[in-house]
Amino acid sequence: MNYMDYLKTQKFPLFWCGGCGNGAVLGAIVRSFAALDYTLENTVVVTGIGCWGKADDYLTTNSFHGTHGRALAFATGIKLANPKLRVIALMGDGDGVTIGGNHFIHAARRNVDVTAILVNNFNYGMTGGQYSGTTPENSLTSTSRYGHIEAGFDICKLAEAAGAPFVARTATDNPPAMEKLISEGLDKKGFSFIEVIAPCPTHFGRNNGMRQAAELMQWVKDKSVSVAKAKTMSPEELHDKLIMGKLVDVDGEDYGSKYLRVIASASSGNEE
Amino acid sequence: MKQIIFGMGNEAITEGALAAGARFYAGYPITPSSEIAELSSIRLPRLGGMYVQMEDEIGSIAAIIGASVAGVKSYTATSGPGFSLMQENLGVAVMGEIPCVIINVQRSGPSTGLATKPAQGDVMQAQWGTHGDHGIIALSPSSVQECYDLTVRAFNLAERYRTPVILLADEIVGHMREGYQIRELLPHDIIDRKKPTCPPRDYQPYDFSGEEDEIAPLAPYGSEYITRINGSGHDESGDACGRPDNAAKFNSHYLNKFRINQKDIIETKSFDLDDAEYAIITFGCSVRSSKAALKLARQKGIKAGLLQLVTIWPFPKEQVREVCSRVKGVVVPEMNLGQILGEVSKTNPGQIPIVGVNRVDGQMITPYEILARLEEVAK
Amino acid sequence: MKETWQVIFSGVGGQGLMLAGTLLGSAATGYEGKNAVMTSAYGVESRGTFAKSDCIVSTQEIDYLEVMAADAVIALAPVAYQKYVDSLGEDTLLIYDDAIETLPSKARQLAFPIAKIAKDVGNISSSNIVALGILVKITALVKEHSVVKAIIEEFWGKEKLINLNLEAFKAGLAISGSK
Repeated sequence: MNYMDYLKTQKFPLFWCGGCGNGAVLGAIVRSFAALDYTLENTVVVTGIGCWGKADDYLTTNSFHGTHGRALAFATGIKLANPKLRVIALMGDGDGVTIGGNHFIHAARRNVDVTAILVNNFNYGMTGGQYSGTTPENSLTSTSRYGHIEAGFDICKLAEAAGAPFVARTATDNPPAMEKLISEGLDKKGFSFIEVIAPCPTHFGRNNGMRQAAELMQWVKDKSVSVAKAKTMSPEELHDKLIMGKLVDVDGEDYGSKYLRVIASASSGNEE
Repeated sequence: MKQIIFGMGNEAITEGALAAGARFYAGYPITPSSEIAELSSIRLPRLGGMYVQMEDEIGSIAAIIGASVAGVKSYTATSGPGFSLMQENLGVAVMGEIPCVIINVQRSGPSTGLATKPAQGDVMQAQWGTHGDHGIIALSPSSVQECYDLTVRAFNLAERYRTPVILLADEIVGHMREGYQIRELLPHDIIDRKKPTCPPRDYQPYDFSGEEDEIAPLAPYGSEYITRINGSGHDESGDACGRPDNAAKFNSHYLNKFRINQKDIIETKSFDLDDAEYAIITFGCSVRSSKAALKLARQKGIKAGLLQLVTIWPFPKEQVREVCSRVKGVVVPEMNLGQILGEVSKTNPGQIPIVGVNRVDGQMITPYEILARLEEVAK
Repeated sequence: MKETWQVIFSGVGGQGLMLAGTLLGSAATGYEGKNAVMTSAYGVESRGTFAKSDCIVSTQEIDYLEVMAADAVIALAPVAYQKYVDSLGEDTLLIYDDAIETLPSKARQLAFPIAKIAKDVGNISSSNIVALGILVKITALVKEHSVVKAIIEEFWGKEKLINLNLEAFKAGLAISGSK
């Protein structure tokens, strides 16, 4: 299939603001679908609520548009009930790791075979730029006018600590790298997690002196270091940095495969 | 297998779910419902089904909703605190029109309440716990046999009307043991959701036009159809839609579909009502005390009868109104402070006394308390 | 023949009071076509504090679940015996372990070496089943062989447990014959 076949072009133009990174992520996802030969019938895109949660509006696959923060819990049920389905959860930073943090760590721990693509723009865009669980300390948002006093999550570390077998971080300024990591994550058996850093010039940028997307991307670039380079740096040097690339890629049996053994044991009456 | 099993209500609920064809359970253990989780974790994999213990009740109901759209009949069991957490995604099942069964083995509240003690305080929550206008189906068993039978019925109603169904049990029926039968179900005793028959490109998961019962067919994920489920305002295709006329149409539909099908949904049972001058109207565990009170009253010469509300929501207005129209007084026993009493009162033409017998101390209402109230009303 | 029997198995948590009630109910409903209802009360702790099971057996439909006037009370621990001894009337049978100090009561009191017999047949934790045997022998509220079937069903596939419980039940039947 051509990547355009996954897009509901009649719903264009995209609802997102000028300079927003979401469109680029959506493009990388549909190109990855095409590259991996995903069928519309066998693919379920589960979204949460927020700017990025609108992504399913533009897709022609099966979809599930649920509640704020719960995408992974819906995705868990979908995947476990029909293991043949390709299940992708699209979440924002508020969605995925602020209100939905508990579902996030447990989906990773359980190693459910879904792909979670979290677009991190460091604030709640849809509701007017309030701070989220990933907003960096000292930044200004519409609810931290005196400077944010909480530290933001390193989501990839969280995913790794929770046991996710595939963890990667990328950004919208490097589309080929983004697409490659998304494709790898989609193709990986087990819980795969890709964090995509994306600009929100309308809110986070404007509130922090970066009205242009380019300025925001430069800010991200300045904070970015590659996995290879990070290995040569001290923890102090890495403070406040975003390590870009594939951070975890290990093999581990996913929940659904393990459960087949439960079914085999139960069928032979071995529960005690 | 022997005919009659002496078992717990929670066991019978689990057996009913399995007999109805449920093969997916996601839940978070909570007293007094945990036996359903435990037994499901043993029985489901033997049938090729799946049990998964989620991180909380928000995730539990989300997972069963997801599994249901993937084509597997799904259920969860909980009690008050967990049912409160489920209200958010119960709304997704309402608006997304997803069949699923939520078993609430009620316990004393509010909050943690008396964790091991019974109550019937979640009647209003079952209907109005999740925000916005909508109908819901809630059934309430009063015996272990009804635990089995009504669980089967809960799945059938969920499938037929594309809706979450709440089995509003309570600690007493959940934990009591009684003889019950695992009734053999024939294929026509089990209802499965309507599947689309149109060409795939024409399929719209929320298009109920041309459906007499206002229920649109639902194709599972992974079929030849594309299924787009949406808990936000959506049109027939499942696409987000904010048009006022569309919102009015669908928001009314979430109530109307129960109204137009209420004859099939609503079930009540009558005892000694034919010549009754006074009626007891009740549900769940309080039916047991009420039946005993009914006999005591008759012995004392009070012509009492009993209307058991098997379906709680949609509220059996017509049945209640009919009883109220021909008796001199009504007593409504319930282990809460008058939730059903209020609904009964709404249907009352206004001439007869309608009074409650209420307990919120975690103790079952005794037959003598109900008798005393009947005697007062009959004075 | 008495239509309805209201029985309380009482003691402390961990004494198998629910099992005794379940076997009685299972015998009545599964093998005799009678009705039976059982409810239990216990503390938040699983073991050591007062606990009881109410079991009603009847040829009629059973409405209210709790025992309102006990026909028989089995007390396997002092705390249980002391709870009931004062309040029972002359129509009630109070069966208790003879290691418990007897107090005055209107009830028809019958003390048996229940724990000792259980120990003799192999396990003190079978006291509940010994007591069930005593109850069945004295009251004939269900038939002996119905309980035997209920025990076999309850422990299906676990030969050792079936034998232990059958022996305990039979020992209970035998000892009560002596009074």
